[in-house]
Amino acid sequence: MKEIEMKKKGQVTMFVIFAIIIVVFAVLIAYFYPQIRFTLGGQAVNPSSYLQSCIEEDLNLAIEKVALQGGSLDPEHYLLYENEKIAYLCYTNEYYKTCVMQQPLLKKHTETEISKAISTRADECFSELEKAYQRSGYEVNIVRGKSNIELLPKRINLDFNSTITIQKGDSQRYTNIKVSVVNNLYELVSIATNILGFETSYGDSETTIYMNYYRDLKVEKIKQSEGSKIYILTDRNSKNKFQFATRSLAWPPGI
Amino acid sequence: MGIIYFFMGFVSAVETSYCCEKTTDGTWCQNAPEAQCADTPFRKSPTSCESIAYCKLGCCYDSQEGTCYENTPERVCGEDGGIWEGNAECDIPACTLGCCLMGDQASFVTQTRCKKLASVYGLEINFRTDIGDEFTCIASATSDVKGACVFEKEYSTTCLFTTKKECATMAGNSSAEFHEGYLCSAEELGTVCGPTEKTTCVEGSDEVFFMDSCGNIANIYDSSKIIDEDKNYWTKIYGKAESCSYGNSNANSESCGNCDYYLGSICKSANVSQRPVYGNNICADLRCSFEGKTYQHGETWCANSKGIAQNLPGSKSFRMVCYNGEVSVEPCAEYRQERCIQSEVNNFKSAACRVNKWQDCAAQTEKEDCENGDKRDCNWLANTPTSGSDVCVPLYAPGFDLGTNSSESNSICTLATTTCTITWEKDIAGSKKRVGDFNCGTLAWNNSMKTMCNSLGDCGVKTNYLGVKGFNDWMVNYQENPKIEE
Repeated sequence: MKEIEMKKKGQVTMFVIFAIIIVVFAVLIAYFYPQIRFTLGGQAVNPSSYLQSCIEEDLNLAIEKVALQGGSLDPEHYLLYENEKIAYLCYTNEYYKTCVMQQPLLKKHTETEISKAISTRADECFSELEKAYQRSGYEVNIVRGKSNIELLPKRINLDFNSTITIQKGDSQRYTNIKVSVVNNLYELVSIATNILGFETSYGDSETTIYMNYYRDLKVEKIKQSEGSKIYILTDRNSKNKFQFATRSLAWPPGI
Repeated sequence: MGIIYFFMGFVSAVETSYCCEKTTDGTWCQNAPEAQCADTPFRKSPTSCESIAYCKLGCCYDSQEGTCYENTPERVCGEDGGIWEGNAECDIPACTLGCCLMGDQASFVTQTRCKKLASVYGLEINFRTDIGDEFTCIASATSDVKGACVFEKEYSTTCLFTTKKECATMAGNSSAEFHEGYLCSAEELGTVCGPTEKTTCVEGSDEVFFMDSCGNIANIYDSSKIIDEDKNYWTKIYGKAESCSYGNSNANSESCGNCDYYLGSICKSANVSQRPVYGNNICADLRCSFEGKTYQHGETWCANSKGIAQNLPGSKSFRMVCYNGEVSVEPCAEYRQERCIQSEVNNFKSAACRVNKWQDCAAQTEKEDCENGDKRDCNWLANTPTSGSDVCVPLYAPGFDLGTNSSESNSICTLATTTCTITWEKDIAGSKKRVGDFNCGTLAWNNSMKTMCNSLGDCGVKTNYLGVKGFNDWMVNYQENPKIEE
């Protein structure tokens, strides 16, 4: 009877040990995910897919931040609204006058700002990638170019303009290393550009025109007391947002 | 006349001493006091920006995207690599618009933009300079002919519902045969694709569509046309106008998927409470509910804060907007500088924030001019106690920014300040008799003064829009029969 009890106790201990080992493995996988995945299957991982998993989260955060701040990472002239610094893209400090364009090439500017926002993380990812290849016994040669963000319909591409050559016996050369995320910023920036055209010419814009034409678009216009306007463009499906401020054809209070 | 000049003086009160190429807060080309101009390398001049070369507004052209930006200073344009031309309205050859036809889409853009769109969307373009307006351009977009593209795949005859052009270019299918106007489920085509009870939403279309067993879209969902009920409906393409309940929104209809965004419905996944007879998609109702009322999709209407009718301090107009089942609020300008106006045609409301045109009221000397609603929002006050003559005052009294412009607002309100003298005469018998201006100090006189005072702006005795009383009380110091001092 006692022997059976001992055996049972021994089994329980074994189960506990196994459970601990499994948990430790799970933690390691979670912590070193890209590196472990890197060597799975004995095949060298394509750098684009490694970089995609490495940078995707930061890229999405950078896109969101820039989009909520009128296309700028650190706006110089902005309006503080619900704790967001919203850049003025068209502005006049006077009454009765239409605004002076402050950010004409909005798409290009937004792309540059997103590039800036993720440049540090991109460097880190390349460094991690290099180390991961080296750990797997590869000789690595990375030639870095200037990363380039491109807003495209329904997606944003990050082109690293880099070349990676790895060698372990055979040599493999990777060019055209890109990361892509699903996002509607291209569409939202195009609409913002159109609204800015109305603001410079007429001092205001009609929000319903855009919502009539684009089924999934929500356009909000919020007027502030000193004559500024905040535009919030939202894709109803993806919830992607782009917001910016203008001050055009403002009317003074009282006489 | 004094009043007129006083009013006009305030209208143009803007301090514009220097033209700053850039201000200290980072804005380009603003008229501002010298202290607000950024230091070198940015320029500044004691003149208006309209008359200085470095802040001349022009057209900024993006040669990569093919877009043009009006009212842009040269340096701002150059910062991001734009090409600047000294024509603020962008009336230059590079910015000439034409009709860009791409597939079944059309866009009224520049030629460079048209090429850019073609490369971005991977479409062939036809840029037409003979179409000179956006409406004609969009109307001239034609969809490619669609039909069943039948081909052999893995020893069976299958089908793809597509355009004639795409069918012709299908890789590796030299045997692909295009049947214009046919659905893949047509029995006579002899394909493996057949009718199903499944439905789907298609991007860019409002309607709910049937799907065939190969995953192709078929005609608009109509529960009475299911599978064998109507073979023709599964053979040939039926247009929107030939489909069920055309001209209605069909919102939440269990049987018909002929949704129409402009009539207030669009294809969406059905929820638990609203289920179609077949499939999982329904014409979702895009109407809005707000404060117990239902509004049509696309309707806009006015909502005012308390006290707007009395022009109380802080009161304000709002435009409410119903789209996609959601109500959003667009405030009109503060200080009652805009008022919301609303019209209704066939029970469909449309509203807009319109500028309160009070600015030149004081300059009007004729009643007819004063009350000309097309030109201004003014009210004619006859025989006012202050001047003894008629005065034109704002119909909707503008509000004051009491926090920053209190001295200005005091000056304006003082316009309605007046003094009149009541004279009493004592006769030989010692009894007193009022003589001279009998109107002075009467209740009618007092009310007339109150109207005049309140019309100028946030003047006189008022509660604010929340009902909080101001520091004056009109009636406290008023006495119908004032005590006479000997």
